[in-house]
Amino acid sequence: MGEANQNIRNFSIIAHIDHGKSTLSDRFIQVCGGLSDREMENQVLDSMDLERERGITIKAQSVSLDYQSKDGNTYHLNFIDTPGHVDFSYEVSRSLSACEGALLVVDASQGVEAQSVANCYTAIELDLEVVPVLNKIDLPAADVDRVSQEIEEIIGLDATDAVHCSAKTGIGITELLEQLVERIPPPQGDPDAPLKALIIDSWFDNYLGVVALVRVFDGTLKTKTKIRAMSTGNDFLVERTGVYNPKSVDKTELVVGQVGFVIAGIKDLSGAKVGDTFTDSHNPAKKILTGFKEVQPRVFAGIYPVSSEDYENLRDALTKLTLNDASLHYEPETSQALGFGFRCGFLGMLHMEIIQERLEREYDLDLITTAPTVTYEVLKTDGEILMIHNPSQLPPINKIEEIREPIIRGTILVPSDYVGNIINLCISKRGVQKKMQYLGNQVTLEYELPLSEVVLDFFDRLKSVSRGYASFDYELDRYEVGDLVKLDILINSESVDALSLIVHRDFSQNKGRDLASRMKKIIPRQMFDVAIQAAIGTNIIARTNVKALRKNVTAKCYGGDVSRKRKLLEKQKAGKKRMKQVGSVEIPQEAFLAVLRVDDK
Amino acid sequence: MTPIPLSLYIHFPWCVQKCPYCDFNSHKQPDIIPEDRYIQALLRDLEQVLPSIWGRRLHTVFIGGGTPSLLSAEGLNQLIKGLQQRLPMRPSMEFTLEANPGTFEQDKFSGFYQAGVNRLSIGIQSFADQQLQKLKRVHSADEALKAIAIAKKAGFSNFNLDLMFGLSGQSIEEALGDLQQAIDCQPPHLSWYQLTIEPNTLFYNQPPSLPNHDLLADMHEQGSALLAKHGYQQYEVSAFAQPKQTSQHNKNYWQFGDYIGIGAGAHGKITQQQTISRTMRVKHPEQYMQACLSGQPDKAIATQTELAKDTLPFEFMLNALRLKEGFQPSLYTERTFLSLSSLEQGLEKADEKQLIIHNNENISLSSHGWNFLDEAVECFL
Repeated sequence: MGEANQNIRNFSIIAHIDHGKSTLSDRFIQVCGGLSDREMENQVLDSMDLERERGITIKAQSVSLDYQSKDGNTYHLNFIDTPGHVDFSYEVSRSLSACEGALLVVDASQGVEAQSVANCYTAIELDLEVVPVLNKIDLPAADVDRVSQEIEEIIGLDATDAVHCSAKTGIGITELLEQLVERIPPPQGDPDAPLKALIIDSWFDNYLGVVALVRVFDGTLKTKTKIRAMSTGNDFLVERTGVYNPKSVDKTELVVGQVGFVIAGIKDLSGAKVGDTFTDSHNPAKKILTGFKEVQPRVFAGIYPVSSEDYENLRDALTKLTLNDASLHYEPETSQALGFGFRCGFLGMLHMEIIQERLEREYDLDLITTAPTVTYEVLKTDGEILMIHNPSQLPPINKIEEIREPIIRGTILVPSDYVGNIINLCISKRGVQKKMQYLGNQVTLEYELPLSEVVLDFFDRLKSVSRGYASFDYELDRYEVGDLVKLDILINSESVDALSLIVHRDFSQNKGRDLASRMKKIIPRQMFDVAIQAAIGTNIIARTNVKALRKNVTAKCYGGDVSRKRKLLEKQKAGKKRMKQVGSVEIPQEAFLAVLRVDDK
Repeated sequence: MTPIPLSLYIHFPWCVQKCPYCDFNSHKQPDIIPEDRYIQALLRDLEQVLPSIWGRRLHTVFIGGGTPSLLSAEGLNQLIKGLQQRLPMRPSMEFTLEANPGTFEQDKFSGFYQAGVNRLSIGIQSFADQQLQKLKRVHSADEALKAIAIAKKAGFSNFNLDLMFGLSGQSIEEALGDLQQAIDCQPPHLSWYQLTIEPNTLFYNQPPSLPNHDLLADMHEQGSALLAKHGYQQYEVSAFAQPKQTSQHNKNYWQFGDYIGIGAGAHGKITQQQTISRTMRVKHPEQYMQACLSGQPDKAIATQTELAKDTLPFEFMLNALRLKEGFQPSLYTERTFLSLSSLEQGLEKADEKQLIIHNNENISLSSHGWNFLDEAVECFL
């Protein structure tokens, strides 16, 4: 049995947003001579623009660099990037499982943040060597001792040897690279065994089709050979392989331990799912690499075109977006109020916002997005279990035995000054405290929270009650029975399905009242009175109304005014077009998202 | 088929000063208004229009502005003589001049009357000094009353008062008080309209605080009742008249008639061989005069557009629905050359919202529609 190249080092960087990951990776590229100084400015930035236009992060899914070490050897470093947001934590664990080590980069002026902690634990669970690094030591506010202590106490890593560096000025970078090659172990694996390559990431390129970023665990991935995606059994002919340095450089093969790209005439992302294993079609591996699971969306919302003529365009746009984003799910849905649209599944709120913005900006669609909801598990009286992504699909009350909701386990790191605020927030969100631990000035809080309370505005509130200092990470824990009811909004006595939501009974009265009064503010006065009611079942819990306009008359119009009056009325008409007609009532788009903001006063 | 009536609109582009709510083509007057040059330019402009209206009878004349009462009596006399030389004019025809208090002198207005003007439209706007100041009018309430007296003494039995409501900080009592004072002057015609903030005005950029929607609606309701009580019949959104004193000139706009528009920034609408065109003159007075007087009057025409057939239903309804009595279906076909089927879709929409009443004899807004004219007109867009 052979052995993998001992001079390869595969690593990730775990860092909170703004803690300096990009600057550090730029610095690595520069030190290792991946790009000349001129290219650093032009090439990287230019291609980033281009990539941004195409909607993929380049920089990089991976970068392969050759580092000339002081021990005389040349090491081949593969840096595998990880997405920064909790919505994309599944991808983080995929990236990490392709590495033998990770750099934990902590801003020496800010300290450890919850998300880094969570990612760090994932890395440790995956048996990675985690190398702590204190960045931004050039800042006057840098407090190396305090932050080292935090690393030791919160994460439990020995920070005595942690490199102190500044990616911005270049201090400590060589030292860091030396420690990296010394501490992070080389890849293991058998070059002679059947091919096993983990798909770390994949994306759709308009010219190349699907590009997969892989890590070879066993064997060699060669061009002009046939490979098989093990979860589906589909075979593909490898057209090109290579690495990014960060420019793409073609190679004839990727050897064991190597990270690089594969282009194999794959038409869509379902052919190369993140987490899947490629093997040799003629000499397949027996076991798939562990860790493959379908990404499950956690947040659902209806997306509807304002104008029914845009329905087909919306479908096309969603199809195009899924080419590049396998975690986006959609299926057709009809709403009595909104007509034809799609129920879309997202990884989280950020993901939802990104998709919504891309649809509106890149595809120029006017959309109505309904309030996001989580998946509820409903046990019917006849024993049947339903998974509900849309409150309007809830069976009649007398057919429901119980409703179960997803509960998450969340970790919050916050300076002690704000602990009280955070606890109040968690209580108001039906949280149950599981742990509270003081470490110097930092407090670690663990809460169980219903996911439905988290997806709405929890992040924003968390940031605002802690002046931005609290950080948060969570994972799905279980489904649990909740005292949940469906809250309906009736407009002129007609229930508007797209405005229904599932809420806890204790909050239903307040939510109903808030929502009704918010609707009153959002719905403009019309030619007739608009009655707004909030109801649970047949029980009306709040009512209000929007008084009718008394008149809408242009006061003056003489010979010369025609074209200007025409423009005014066209504007009036266009304004209505952006609203949704429900019955005879014109409802503005923001009404459908009003539930999101029910809590802020 | 009755011929389409043809009116003449003449624009006078200067004012003592520009009012902050006014979006008409008006300019602060220079030290000396080039009256003679402007009149020559108008007449030259009119000449280039004559071929397009050859043989048609003139229905009404309206000199608007701006403040055309800044003209001297001699100037106006000269202008009217010039018109008579170029167009057949009947003495009984309605001939209106817009006039603003602050420009009234007895001799001048007697001169206007003798020159052939038989109707005045006087821009009072308010009888409250405080409001007049906020509107940057050059006159006081006293001067307004004096102006009306001068007009009557000069012989103008037929005159209109322009009055606004919904002014900054105005209460319902103040609005009705203003209106009562106008009624007390016994004008045969009253244009009583809500202050509207238009783009490209000072008020648009520095909005005054206006009464809210419900208060405005109350003012309108109670004011209309007060006017009715005194025998003023509302025949258009903002126009009220004693029996048989409606403005023939304005009614011609609302009935989609034709009008020649001459003078800086003037709009016109002319039908020729079933083709309807709108014209607009260049706005700047100096540019306008130069074009007309340098032998290139066509350069004074800023735009001339043929109306597309599909915009005619809207254009017609935008005007005709303003009339309380509505219109006979035959008027629509006579003025637009379209069949009634082109109105069907819009009528259906307006029907659904209960905004309109239509049968073989007449089409008009319902009483509900009368409060929602803009919604009704939108149905034809």
